[in-house]
Amino acid sequence: MAMRRNTRLLIEPPASATGDIAFNLIVFFLVCASVQPDSGRKQTIPKAEQTEQKEQQTDTISVELTRLAVFLDGDPVTQKNFGPRIKAKLDSRSNPAEKVVVVKSKPDTPYNHWIAVTSQIEDAGGIVTLQLEEEQTVIVP
Amino acid sequence: MAMGDIAFNLLIFFVILARAQDDSHLQWTPAKAGNLEQAGHSMVSVVVDNENKLYLNGQEIGVSQLADAIEEQLGDTKAGERTVLLKVHQEAVALRFEPVIEAVSEAGGDLVHIVEDVKKQ
Repeated sequence: MAMRRNTRLLIEPPASATGDIAFNLIVFFLVCASVQPDSGRKQTIPKAEQTEQKEQQTDTISVELTRLAVFLDGDPVTQKNFGPRIKAKLDSRSNPAEKVVVVKSKPDTPYNHWIAVTSQIEDAGGIVTLQLEEEQTVIVP
Repeated sequence: MAMGDIAFNLLIFFVILARAQDDSHLQWTPAKAGNLEQAGHSMVSVVVDNENKLYLNGQEIGVSQLADAIEEQLGDTKAGERTVLLKVHQEAVALRFEPVIEAVSEAGGDLVHIVEDVKKQ
């Protein structure tokens, strides 16, 4: 007995399932959007330690940040020139301990300026160390 | 058929619920930087939002409590898995974000600054 071949290749899903399908699609895209991994910059900052103000080592590189400017060892530098200048300074030092760069920021330094400069220091092979001023309360009798 | 759907939805519900450090409701604009890498999985996220408020895993916190709270969250996690995501609004000032960085460092966290790729404009 010859069997009739089914020529209907496309079969529509039952209409009652469309709600479920739509819901699952929404959930799927929601989860995809929420688990999108963040990208960023790793930064290793030495653990904070309180030290008395000692005589500053003369060969440590220091960077001072203000709201708009950058000072490399006291000299004003544009943000564009800062990268090559710090790289030249760090390349001349072979000892890792000499590659420490002390970053001191004025209180009004914005984060976008700070991250741009510290990124350049790290890309040049420097180790960023923050110098924070400690608030002290002095009671005057 | 419906049992499978229910199980699947429950699974997704608990996966979302398990993401304890949900800070998606906070408003902040990332700064831009180059040479970025994937931050990977993290248990701790610290945010300084556009109103200069500080949050740990979506809960507001004071900077003086931050180091202890991060240490508690990280617990005995081994080195290399102690990632702390730092999300700072691009216009936040050093007076606000530097003590936060210091606290993360004090708690022994591996700091990752969440920023936007400078190439993406």
